[in-house]
Amino acid sequence: MTIPSADLTTDPPQHGVLMRLRHVNRTFQMGEVAVVALADFTLDVYRGELLVLLGPSGSGKTTILNIMGGLDHPTSGEVWYGDEDLAKATPKQLTRYRRESVGFVFQFYNLVPTLTARENVMVATELSREPISVEESLGLVGLGERLDHFPAQLSGGEQQRVAIARALAKNPELLLCDEPTGALDFETGKRALRLLVDVTRKLGKTVLVITHNTAIAEVADRVVHLRSGNMVSLEVNATPKPPEEILW
Amino acid sequence: MSVLDRKLLREVRGSRWLLLAIISIVGVGVMMFVYMRSAYFNLSRARDQYYVQGRMADFWIDVKKVPVSDLKAVAELPGVSEIRSRIQFMATVDLEDVAEPLNGLVLSLPDRQQPVINDIVLRQGGYFSDRRAEEVIVNDTFARKHHIHPGDWINLVLNNRRQELYVVGTAISCEYVYLVSAGVFVPDPEHFGVFYLKHSYAEEVFDMSGAASQIVGILAPEVREHPQALLDQAERVLEPYGVLNKFARRDQPSNRFLSDEIHGIGTFATILPIMFLAVAALVLNVFISRLVEQQRTVIGTLKAIGYGDRALLTHYLKYGLAVGLCGGLAGWLGGYLMANWVTSMYKNFFEFPDLNNIVYPGTYIAALGISLLCALIGSLRGARLAIRLQPAEAMRARPPGVAGAVFLERIGWFWRRLSFGWRMVLRLVIRNRLRTAVGIFAAAMGAGLLVCAFMLSSAMQFLMHFQYDLVNRADVDLSLRDDHSGLALAEARQLPAVDAAEPLLAVGGTFWHGPYQRKGAITGLSQNAKLTIPRDTAGDPLSVPPLGLMISHKLADLLHAQVGDTITFRPSRGLQQWLEVPVTKIADEYIGLSTYADIDYLSHLLGEEFAVSGVQLKTNPKPTEQAALNAELKRLPAVQAVNRREDVIHNLKANYIDVQKIFITILVLFAGVIFFGSILNAALIGLAERRREAATLLVLGYSRWQVGGLFLRESMLVTLCGTLCGLPLGYLLTWSISLAYDTEMFRFPLVLSAGTLANTVGLAVLFGLLAHLGVQRSIHKLDWLDALNVKE
Ligand SMILES: Nc1ncnc2c1ncn2[C@@H]1O[C@H](COP(=O)(O)OP(=O)(O)OP(=O)(O)O)[C@@H](O)[C@H]1O
Ligand SMILES: [Mg+2]
Repeated sequence: MTIPSADLTTDPPQHGVLMRLRHVNRTFQMGEVAVVALADFTLDVYRGELLVLLGPSGSGKTTILNIMGGLDHPTSGEVWYGDEDLAKATPKQLTRYRRESVGFVFQFYNLVPTLTARENVMVATELSREPISVEESLGLVGLGERLDHFPAQLSGGEQQRVAIARALAKNPELLLCDEPTGALDFETGKRALRLLVDVTRKLGKTVLVITHNTAIAEVADRVVHLRSGNMVSLEVNATPKPPEEILW
Repeated sequence: MSVLDRKLLREVRGSRWLLLAIISIVGVGVMMFVYMRSAYFNLSRARDQYYVQGRMADFWIDVKKVPVSDLKAVAELPGVSEIRSRIQFMATVDLEDVAEPLNGLVLSLPDRQQPVINDIVLRQGGYFSDRRAEEVIVNDTFARKHHIHPGDWINLVLNNRRQELYVVGTAISCEYVYLVSAGVFVPDPEHFGVFYLKHSYAEEVFDMSGAASQIVGILAPEVREHPQALLDQAERVLEPYGVLNKFARRDQPSNRFLSDEIHGIGTFATILPIMFLAVAALVLNVFISRLVEQQRTVIGTLKAIGYGDRALLTHYLKYGLAVGLCGGLAGWLGGYLMANWVTSMYKNFFEFPDLNNIVYPGTYIAALGISLLCALIGSLRGARLAIRLQPAEAMRARPPGVAGAVFLERIGWFWRRLSFGWRMVLRLVIRNRLRTAVGIFAAAMGAGLLVCAFMLSSAMQFLMHFQYDLVNRADVDLSLRDDHSGLALAEARQLPAVDAAEPLLAVGGTFWHGPYQRKGAITGLSQNAKLTIPRDTAGDPLSVPPLGLMISHKLADLLHAQVGDTITFRPSRGLQQWLEVPVTKIADEYIGLSTYADIDYLSHLLGEEFAVSGVQLKTNPKPTEQAALNAELKRLPAVQAVNRREDVIHNLKANYIDVQKIFITILVLFAGVIFFGSILNAALIGLAERRREAATLLVLGYSRWQVGGLFLRESMLVTLCGTLCGLPLGYLLTWSISLAYDTEMFRFPLVLSAGTLANTVGLAVLFGLLAHLGVQRSIHKLDWLDALNVKE
């Protein structure tokens, strides 16, 4: 089922709205030319949903994620998180927002190479006011043992699990994952996806996953299709598949 | 410990060699600061205490002979707090186990000990007793050099009579902290000493009962700073008694040398540490900027996680602070040890009752503060780059470097001739502008230091050569007690071992020209003199004009006199008439305010047919001949002082040149630290950035030495450019030092020899190669598979 996005935003959300994006534009000035990375993007993100952003390379997925995560300002438009418009927030406010409300998972995990798995999670817990304990969050991702290994001594899947544990440890409302399975093989990727699904279903977090892999979209509650900075369609998935059943 | 601090510690440990290179530069800077300041305070503290303890005089006036009863007029001059009169004469010392006659200065002291002006500090034995009149207290260093102990008897020729004296003690005095005889620059305790006699005994042997030949005094605090007017007044009062010389404490030779040294080290204590810390700050800047660049993704991630600007700023500043702290602590230790050593070296030149190395907390704290500050400044730019990094930007794949052609590529004919290696090196050097500039700056500082060190050493050798090979060529210089006629010369020619003898007439006095006046001396030489040949700074012989005076540039400046002007000279001995003399020649000279005239002309001016105050001898070096000459000289009452060229040169070498060599070696090592640290830092950073490139070349079949060669080319290019810039810099540095030492006594020659340039460039290359060994080691350890897999 495909519903035009404009209609959906007027629909009352079932679980309440976590974030509202309104007419968000982002252009990059590259010398003479202006690259439009995102054009008039409007979307409500619901609490506790698993949302997938699907689109080819260069379609503006990371741009949206950066704006939602408070890493980047939109050129115009509004980005409401509760009653705070991130588009107008000061750098200080954005830092606090990122510290308290968002967790990031990156395609290349972005672990600090000179810190052990445990310490990489501590990087997040030390900042947070009510963190999940390091052991607990590493337990959640199933990495109970190799706590004192350095990233270079871990496999890609293990590193990604540490990265997810790090994002979870702060106990944030919103988890933003940029191609979390992009660097993983099929099986490991599925395991990481399972983790993210569990985070949504069991912990009630809102999870946004970026991918260009259509198969992954099948696990989502909703899928936003992007092309060249425009939302092409928004698809509601009444019966998301468990990650174990998908194929790619 | 916070987890970011753990990251810091691990990374510091990981790049310890690189950081060590920077730390050593900081450390040397701090060490110089600590040891020079400590030496400065040690010396000035010892001086000030000693001057109080020994009641150091504010002025000295030498007269021919003045009745003590007539000194009341001087004591009552407003501004004079207290005076002491004493008897002062030169004497010849005849020691049994020393072949040659030695020179001595005899001073009288009260028969009973009391705290007089210019008091002595006893080191061995005691003060005069009542048991005998002929007791003597000997200058301590002289006594030690010649194994003279209390209870010994020594022979002095006093007032033309040989006297046997009983040694009661040895002593030092604040007046002779730096014990030099007239006209010599370095103490020679083996050949010159001070001898203190009972005042009553001195009155008797010198026929001075109720009279004195020197007045020393202490001034009221308000005139102490500007004593000249008062000294002039005193001179007028003492006019009838023949004032031979007068000077304030500022011009007293011992105090002058000591204070110049203190002032000099105080100046160096600022300039040299600044040079090092500036280099360290710049090198650190390169390091931290590179670190931040390398950790782009980590910084972006930390920002995404919620770390604020302040946390990141402190995190990266801490790298610098770690360097500053380590460098500071290492510098403390090195500075303390060095200060100990330098202070003990000073004991060879300066005689103090106690000269010790003390820890000055203020200096140590300031040193650490400065090193931390310099480290902070050095890391500020890098740390600010970290906060300015936009997180979204930081995590994007790094924009491919500006790969545009460098300007040199536009010069086609030049570029086409270059091998691929040189093209690569040139592109890198030009693109990494900051790093190249820092490398050049550091090499320039290092080279400047080397040039300066070598030039200082050349200057000393040049002066020695100039003075003792070119100007003064006599083997033995005899100063006579009074002016003599030509007969003395004839007698000197009869002495054993003498091949040739030439007369010399030195007349001390005051030059006047309009409102300007200056104390000095005229040296009269015969027209065909071969043993003293005045020369200009180029080393060319100057012929003494048959009429009039040849004066030095320095004196001409001081008197505002030009060739053709007539100046007035008033000799301080003899009839003391006012003589009008024309200036017929002005010459450049290195030492003193030397003024020359024809000896016949000068004799006539003084109203004599032919006068001689000294004789210069060319002698036969045969030991038997020399022994005969020495024996004869010891017996001659007319001889006041004997200076042998061999002894003077030996003493200069042993006491001065050798110490200077050690200091120059240390300076060279310090310069090496700059070269080494900066080159290693730049090359290791370059290697870290281009690991993948290096690995690719290895895969293509280049050997590790060849790959190393590319890095070597790059650092050599930068080092040599910097060294070339450093050559004029070193010259400037030496020039500014020469200005500081350009006193009336001494002119500092700037000698830039080809050897200096070659040594500097050679050492720069050597240090570059040494640093490259460290880089080559890293290249040999490079795991190329790993390097090819790195994600960047
Ligand atoms: N900082 C920037 N400066 C210039 N252009 C940018 C910048 N960031 C993004 N863009 C441009 O904006 C467009 C969208 O980029 P974005 O990174 O959002 O794409 P993406 O969908 O995440 O692609 P990918 O799947 O390759 O990661 C691209 O054309 C990109 O070149
Ligand atoms: Mg992307």
